[in-house]
Amino acid sequence: MQTYLSENNLKTLLDRLIAGGKRVIAPRLDAGTPLYGPLADAAGVVLDQLPRRSAKEAFFPVCEDIMSYDKEGQQVTLTDVNPASFPETVLVGVRPCDAAAIPVLDAVFSWDYKDEFFLERRKKTTIIGLACTQADDACFCTAVGLSPADPKGSDLFLTPVEGGGYACETFTEKGETLVNGNRELFAEPNGAPALPPAEPQTEKFDLKKVKAWLDDHFEDPAWDGIAVRCVGCGACAFLCPACHCFDIVDEGTEKAGKRRKSWDACGFWKFTHHASGHNPRDLQPKRYRNRIMHKFKYYDDKFGQTLCTGCGRCIRFCPVGIDIAAIVSEISKK
Amino acid sequence: MTNTIDTSIYAAVTEAIQGEVRRILSEGSVSAVVGYAAARRKGSAQPIVITDAARAEELVFSAACVNNLAVYLTKAKKEIPKTGKIGIVVKGCDLKALVGLMGESQLKREDLYLIGVPCAGVLASTAQPSQELTGDTIAPKCRECDARLPAGCDFVPDQRPVSIELAGKYSAEIARLEAMTPAERWAYWKEQFKKCIKCYACRQVCPFCFCEQCLCDRNKPQMVETTPRPAGNTAWHIVRAMHLAGRCAGCAECERVCPMDIPLNLLNRKMAKELKELYDYEAGFEVREKGPLAMYDEKDDQSFIK
Amino acid sequence: MHHKEKHAFEPKIIAFVCTWCTYAGADLAGTSRMQYPANVRVLKFPCTGRIDPVFILKAFQQGADGVLVSGCHPGDCHYIAGNFHARRRFAAFRKLLEFVGVDLGRLQFSWVSAAEGGKWVEMVTDLTERVRGMGPMREFKELGLEEQWSGAIDTPELREAYDSI
Repeated sequence: MQTYLSENNLKTLLDRLIAGGKRVIAPRLDAGTPLYGPLADAAGVVLDQLPRRSAKEAFFPVCEDIMSYDKEGQQVTLTDVNPASFPETVLVGVRPCDAAAIPVLDAVFSWDYKDEFFLERRKKTTIIGLACTQADDACFCTAVGLSPADPKGSDLFLTPVEGGGYACETFTEKGETLVNGNRELFAEPNGAPALPPAEPQTEKFDLKKVKAWLDDHFEDPAWDGIAVRCVGCGACAFLCPACHCFDIVDEGTEKAGKRRKSWDACGFWKFTHHASGHNPRDLQPKRYRNRIMHKFKYYDDKFGQTLCTGCGRCIRFCPVGIDIAAIVSEISKK
Repeated sequence: MTNTIDTSIYAAVTEAIQGEVRRILSEGSVSAVVGYAAARRKGSAQPIVITDAARAEELVFSAACVNNLAVYLTKAKKEIPKTGKIGIVVKGCDLKALVGLMGESQLKREDLYLIGVPCAGVLASTAQPSQELTGDTIAPKCRECDARLPAGCDFVPDQRPVSIELAGKYSAEIARLEAMTPAERWAYWKEQFKKCIKCYACRQVCPFCFCEQCLCDRNKPQMVETTPRPAGNTAWHIVRAMHLAGRCAGCAECERVCPMDIPLNLLNRKMAKELKELYDYEAGFEVREKGPLAMYDEKDDQSFIK
Repeated sequence: MHHKEKHAFEPKIIAFVCTWCTYAGADLAGTSRMQYPANVRVLKFPCTGRIDPVFILKAFQQGADGVLVSGCHPGDCHYIAGNFHARRRFAAFRKLLEFVGVDLGRLQFSWVSAAEGGKWVEMVTDLTERVRGMGPMREFKELGLEEQWSGAIDTPELREAYDSI
């Protein structure tokens, strides 16, 4: 279904959804930093820049409780978090690179174990995607086969058009339900041409070739050269829309506490540190290799797709300027 | 009105660094050099380690050379072999960190070949690497820099940066926070720390965070919650600031790399200010055996103790 | 002589003390039958030099409304200089806590010798009264219940826990 949504009507829609008890998550400024977060009203929405953290946290929170325990005398009471309590949500202004990562995450969270926390949030969320009209030289969605106008992962997709407002297309039942429930806000398509999509400059990767090289080069001197500068923080993995490793820890006292699940990253020394004291990935090149292998080989082996959507966050915010696009493009030339 | 900062010396500085590195590597007086090289993004630079004189031409110095390379010489970075003498390209702020590490017996002066950079300033983390250096794009630390010419290096290119007059941002911001009530300051930091995702970029780039195992990674006992929740984040940043008090050299790498824009260097600068007032200590170019919190004076102020 | 007053709010006071001076001083107060508020929980350390600032932080996080740190007078340290080092460290730490917004009225440092049972009583009483006047330390407790928005569950239980502080 194709319609037109004016900027004002988008705000009216968001305010109406909020008033109707839905949780609306959109990019907003959080102490000056653009981040996705629940809106109190539509006035706070910031659509002109890519949020610093990806949209994955709407489904896979930075940190969440999964269970709590209380001990009284010899009696221990365990209380599970009930995913049914998660609110109905509309996620707005999701860039194609973020939206495309969500189906990628679906695959892993519903594979051998169905992650009910992720899947319940996923079921209850309608995603409104937004085409990109600006890119910088860290953007490389086109290099991994996506595009700034790709509606993959969106239930409803907005494309800015000349003269203001958005051409609006629904791709799923959820998207149609949203439009039909607020029909008077959506006009007939007005025929205005779409604003030209952003043009990321990075050359398209030959992902087959990259994978073929990775298949044969677990051991290669190149890893040392690439990763010698890596300082072992988790910025790349935490900002990534597709990275999904997590840690589970119990926090609290002898008497009461919580079991919590929070983001983890393969760049950390602690990530593979064994209780014995041995660490199979003892040096940073081995840890960085895992990041590349997981994104361009292991994930492909298992799920037939690439674990990277080219958002460029890891490039922009790597403390030491490690550039995954440069590395992959170099590998594809080998 | 233009507020462009003159970085014209950087071309000559680059050439001088290349020449010197070519010389020391081919003579074999150092086994490796840590410096900066151009990267893919327009104008960008990244750290590089070279061992071959033929690769000296890859070295650059520009306003995009933001990193403090001292971190690569600490025992936290096991990937760089620490055998033989190592050359390192340092700005004044980076050199202060190296001096601090020497004071803490982490490095020996005779194991280093210091290539000092006459520095006109580097770009802020908010700027694109391709941007020109101006009063708006310059890193906040450079606005109040007193170390444009590193002292005591083995080699410093014969260039002099044009002096610049810019109002200090940290001092003004610290004064603004100090004027608040405790409740207002708590609210301010709460908003900032809430954003933290415990990526530990601040810790990993810090030359002084070289502990084999960070207190904040330990769970027996667990002094600081490891999960990225507001409580644990706040505790982490307080502990970090305290562990760096009297050691921090002011390179502001923690703040530059924070992907959540938390003004971490404010905490470090505040502690530096207090330690200057209390014990007349400042990070500098002179190696000192002990920092202000590793020594004492019997006459130290104790007006806060009953 | 001594009567117990009822107060609407009884603050939790954590005292980190050194074993050689202040702990002995507190012991003296006890054996001398001096009265002091039962709000204080005493934790004994070898020396003030062993009292890591992170302990103070942890105490506030775990529900302390006030913290007392006390050890030997300068020059009397069992380990010669532990308290001199501690003095510098605490001078710096209180400036840091103040900068992040902790009201320093909740944090008291003192020197109490093994002979100063009376001073111990005075320190504990003063801090307890002062903190009682300030009310509960809400900041860290509230923070402990906060979540990143993406992990927050707005359930009735959470609300109840929040309201109970």
